[in-house]
Amino acid sequence: MQKITENTINKGLSVLNHFQDSRLLTQLNSCVHCGLCAESCIYYLTNKEARFVPVKKVDMISSIYKRYYTFIGRHAPFLVNALDINDDNVAEMVDLFFGSCTMCGRCNLHCSIGIDIAYLVRTGRIMLAEMGYIPLSIQSTVDASINSGNNMSITTEEFVDTIKWLEDDLKDEVNDENASIPLNEKDKNLLYTLNPREPKFFPLSISAMAKIFYAAGESWTISTQMYDVTNYGFFTGNKGEATTIVKRLYDETKNLNAKELILAECGHGSCAFRWEGPNYLKHSYDFKAITSVELMADYIKSGRIKVDKSRLKQRVTLHDPCNLVRNGGIVHEQRYILNQIASDFVEMTPHGIDNYCCGGGGGQLAMSEYNDRRMAIGERKADQIRKTGAQIVVSPCHNCVDQLIQINSQYKLNVQIKTLSEMVADAIVLD
Amino acid sequence: MSWYIILTIGSVAFCLAGCLNHIYKLIRLGKPKDFSERIGNVGSAVVYSFTGGMSPKKKESAYLHLPTYSAGIIYHTGTFLSLGLFSYFLFDWNFNNKVLLGLSIILLISTLCGAGILIKRIVKRELRSLSNPDDYISNILVTAFQFITSYSLISFTPVYYIFVSALFLYIPVGKLKHVIYFFAARYHLGFFYGNRAVWPPKG
Repeated sequence: MQKITENTINKGLSVLNHFQDSRLLTQLNSCVHCGLCAESCIYYLTNKEARFVPVKKVDMISSIYKRYYTFIGRHAPFLVNALDINDDNVAEMVDLFFGSCTMCGRCNLHCSIGIDIAYLVRTGRIMLAEMGYIPLSIQSTVDASINSGNNMSITTEEFVDTIKWLEDDLKDEVNDENASIPLNEKDKNLLYTLNPREPKFFPLSISAMAKIFYAAGESWTISTQMYDVTNYGFFTGNKGEATTIVKRLYDETKNLNAKELILAECGHGSCAFRWEGPNYLKHSYDFKAITSVELMADYIKSGRIKVDKSRLKQRVTLHDPCNLVRNGGIVHEQRYILNQIASDFVEMTPHGIDNYCCGGGGGQLAMSEYNDRRMAIGERKADQIRKTGAQIVVSPCHNCVDQLIQINSQYKLNVQIKTLSEMVADAIVLD
Repeated sequence: MSWYIILTIGSVAFCLAGCLNHIYKLIRLGKPKDFSERIGNVGSAVVYSFTGGMSPKKKESAYLHLPTYSAGIIYHTGTFLSLGLFSYFLFDWNFNNKVLLGLSIILLISTLCGAGILIKRIVKRELRSLSNPDDYISNILVTAFQFITSYSLISFTPVYYIFVSALFLYIPVGKLKHVIYFFAARYHLGFFYGNRAVWPPKG
């Protein structure tokens, strides 16, 4: 790690002295160090060490704020444990903000005061990004997005080949030569996005959505220029890069003149575009941006697609992605869908907005240096799954799916991990 | 007017000015600026944030720590009761002796709760590691304030005003300023979850 300079310190502090509204000032001044947030954090529950209690993360950033911006912190720092930004503290910030938090926000709900701890961690990451301390592992994912247009550096040629192959499969499956996966078509109702892991590793989820669109008679398209729903700039705290990624998707939606943008099954991607994107761009969108989960629920409710729940005999459970559910408000749609397509759907305990993070959030899957912690945390999720007795675990988030696949393997759960669209596609009854 | 009354009035003025300064900063910075398309009801969510969202049934910080949570509730009740009784001493109001005795007992109980929370902070290694001098000073000042209020209801001592002054001088600078920021934090949490239709919970 490079030696910190005065200039670097000032860059970090600039994050703490430019308040956009009263939100940050509030969070920086609210913690009473009661420590009652401990049991709400998957890192603490797994490691049982004081340094993993969420208050430590709050304290890291608020102590720096106090040191530089409050009377008592400047003149009697020992009273409030006010901290300088120095090499040791920056190393601790990197470990706490990047390596010890998925920003799942579960502690927010349970904090005795109501502090938005995940927001403070994200602010800490923004400080580190300003100072140039983003872990190289996760930064490489952002670099891939910025340089190639998607986080897996898939070439357009490779992508188009994959889609054409999937289109042929679709024609066979629905037995209709006119079935298609339209690319770059203008004036469609929907522009559909993808997580680049789909064309690279999980093409069946693209097929699944294509089948759903076919069954619904939808007017839709995929862009070959900008289809990536992910935004790892949201995780690294580099606002400039996060804004670039959001703007590309915004511009492509406008360019293709789509009425709505459909955010694929990706918790952070949908959160970054739908909830943070307008704030990055500093304006609201002039088109609708919704998740594919909401769209599928609407198709079933409105009768645009018909599903048969009797086909699926296995027990199904649901993992709630934090960014989609607790941080995104999509709580009931996926449950409605599963109740329509599965005859034996059971909930985990806890679930919904109280669900535990799988451990793969916050960019953890992209930071191999924290793999051991991530997989240790996964044991809690493994226990949750095991207790349901389910044979299929559904999660409407490719990031969570990746982590669940690894959990399945490490903790020998012997379950199937599926996206919601794959489940819906299997249940579709074609006329 | 005795010197300790003057000291107390001065500290109250300092406290009010300090607290008003915090409130002014919050108001000046204003409500969250959020360009995302709202899908929920922020007003209902903010109300929920101060009501259902605070329910011990909903918060692990409460239902997993019921003794601490209960002590905290009693302690905070005692604090606000003591602040209310400050006007009784300052303006020399009259109360029935039985009422005074009852209030004194209530404050003694809340004092014990405050002391219990302090002891927990000192004794539990993990909590100690999360604490700084401000945490101890804040607790000691408030607990002492409740105790001296309880005592003074039965047998008044001018020392009361020294304790009150120390407390009022400390409120705007230490962690006791959460008396203001607590409300702002609950508001922001309600706004965040309301904007995204997470709160109030549906169904």
